[in-house]
Amino acid sequence: MTDTPERTIPDPQLNRRSFLKGCTAVAAALGISEAMIPKLVEAATSAQRPPVIWLHFQECTGCTESLLRASHPDIARLILDVISLDYHETIMVPSGHQAEKSLHDTLDKYAGKFLLVVEGAIPTKDKGIYCKIAGRTAMDILAEVAPKAAAIIAMGSCAAYGGIQAASPNPTGAVGVQDLVSGTPVVNIPGCPPNPVSFMGTVLHYLTFKRLPVLDNLGRPLFAYGRRIHDHCERRAHFDEGRFAEEFGDYGHRNGYCLYKVGCKGPGTFSNCPSARFNDVDVWPVSVGHGCVGCTEPDFWDTMTPFYERLPNVNIPGIAGITNIDKAGKTILGVAAAAVGIHAAIGIGKSMVTGCGCKDKK
Amino acid sequence: MIYEKHYVWSILLRLYHWAMAGSIVALSVTGFYIFNPWTLTNLEGTGLFPMMTMRNIHMLAAYLFTGAIVARLFLFIFGNKQERVWDVLPITPRNIKNLIDTLGAYMYLTDHHDEDRLGHNVLAGMTYVTTIFVGFIQIIAGFYLWLPESSFWQKLGNIIFGTQQFGRYIHHLLMWYFLLFALIHIYLVIWNDLKNPDGLVSSIFTGNKFRHREVK
Ligand code: HEM
Ligand code: HEM
Ligand code: SF4
Ligand code: SF4
Repeated sequence: MTDTPERTIPDPQLNRRSFLKGCTAVAAALGISEAMIPKLVEAATSAQRPPVIWLHFQECTGCTESLLRASHPDIARLILDVISLDYHETIMVPSGHQAEKSLHDTLDKYAGKFLLVVEGAIPTKDKGIYCKIAGRTAMDILAEVAPKAAAIIAMGSCAAYGGIQAASPNPTGAVGVQDLVSGTPVVNIPGCPPNPVSFMGTVLHYLTFKRLPVLDNLGRPLFAYGRRIHDHCERRAHFDEGRFAEEFGDYGHRNGYCLYKVGCKGPGTFSNCPSARFNDVDVWPVSVGHGCVGCTEPDFWDTMTPFYERLPNVNIPGIAGITNIDKAGKTILGVAAAAVGIHAAIGIGKSMVTGCGCKDKK
Repeated sequence: MIYEKHYVWSILLRLYHWAMAGSIVALSVTGFYIFNPWTLTNLEGTGLFPMMTMRNIHMLAAYLFTGAIVARLFLFIFGNKQERVWDVLPITPRNIKNLIDTLGAYMYLTDHHDEDRLGHNVLAGMTYVTTIFVGFIQIIAGFYLWLPESSFWQKLGNIIFGTQQFGRYIHHLLMWYFLLFALIHIYLVIWNDLKNPDGLVSSIFTGNKFRHREVK
């Protein structure tokens, strides 16, 4: 796509057609009936809809970027229109003291009513000094804002489970929102970054039905994270029929075979990527030839790496050089076989010296 | 010298043993295939489904394996004297003494053999109990991988393993436990059969062990 000014600068006025398209896309992702779309639209335009406070902690702003990029303009505009963002560090107009004032005004005025969106992990080590905004730690800010929110949406794998900041050895003690907040419902929208449709679906569900969507065990809405990627992947037939890309760029890769052997983590990952897809051009990583890296799962940075291998490595303390899981297994088995051989040899040696050790030698 | 024949292993125990031994071989071979499909990976239009077939065999063997483990758990409590779990754990003075004697014998320090003991020696028994426990974990991991969207297995799996990927990792690592166990187990069974006259190896086929007694 060429980047012409006409293409990348969104129309500041959200037109109704685009708005309805956005609502329809979200309704499809939610799996609700077409007949519900008018209700969705009504809720999204209601004057009484709750304001949203968006807090940024240890993050890269990738989640905000992916939400607002003009490559899916209907959804992006829907977001800007539906949510009256009273505090969002990336896009709000006020800054400095004005920004802080805006935050506190909303907190006071809408206590118990506003939606809180958190992006980024919260460092807890050394009293949380590794992330400070306006002189206060992320922990402090969250502790102040969270109890006043009606519900919290943890946006992105970092806010949900700690993300890359929490990767072993987790130097700043980063954790997700759900580890620090109790009493206020938390919805996790993991992903690095998550699909905007999953986020909007959750918000519109809340606005329309006045309650949060049904969650799985890991706090993720089932409408977006209820199915496993591997079971809905267009390459699945190649998997079952044993056709695999052996390496990137080879015959199998060029022919669209399954990416399992180059490390695809689809078999262990729950997300709507194969059905919701991304960026209005209907692609997702596997469709363009790269395996899933499992970014919607807790600790994906530790358990899904190396990204181009099937399973994590094994590190046996004291034995250098063993990393691959089967190399480790074969080494242990080899050592055991050698031990068995030595044990048998000692037995034979002993019986040659002292005679057969058996019970019925008579 | 007279040999007394004693019936030690019930038919259920022997069935379980061979179901387990056989299914572990099948599970390891198909498990390796699932980990790293080694067949020609660019055949089109053959109508063969190697990965699907291997996964189906894996599951067939998995049900056999699960049945075997369940049977063994039952026998731990309701089996005959040799089969019950308290006969093989170092919880009585007799069993503790047997454990020490066995360790001595395996290190070639003594030639002692417990003549009045028909069941497993305590070291072997402890290893078997551990193996059954590991098998139990392997089954939970396996069903968690097999039925990832079932709410029961998902809940259980998330509590024990956290994520699918970690469950898969543990499942794969535990395969190496079973291979290690099989190697040492088969060696030690033969070693014991050579050392002692009770007919250990045939006991797992026939259920009978032999006790010998001097006649004065
Ligand atoms: C001693 C017993 C077993 C051994 C040695 C074994 C071994 C393995 C291995 C090595 C893998 C490949 C893991 C990977 O690299 O992704 C695997 C996968 C699997 N095993 Fe087992 N397994 C055993 C028992 C079971 C049982 C009891 C079940 C019960 C349901 C089971 C179900 C599965 C499933 C569903 C997979 C994943 C298949 C896939 O990803 O498509 N396994 N097993
Ligand atoms: C050729 C192969 C095998 C032979 C000849 C064999 C023989 C035996 C014998 C003689 C016993 C009784 C030992 C005793 O009293 O201490 C036994 C027990 C046992 N074997 Fe094997 N075995 C074989 C393979 C396997 C394999 C592959 C496994 C599983 C990985 C296995 C698992 C067990 C277990 C768990 C027991 C304990 C039985 C119990 O729970 O009471 N065996 N085997
Ligand atoms: S989840 Fe990923 S994209 Fe989102 S803030 Fe964290 S690192 Fe950035
Ligand atoms: S490409 Fe990945 S998700 Fe798709 S079938 Fe292969 S392993 Fe499964």
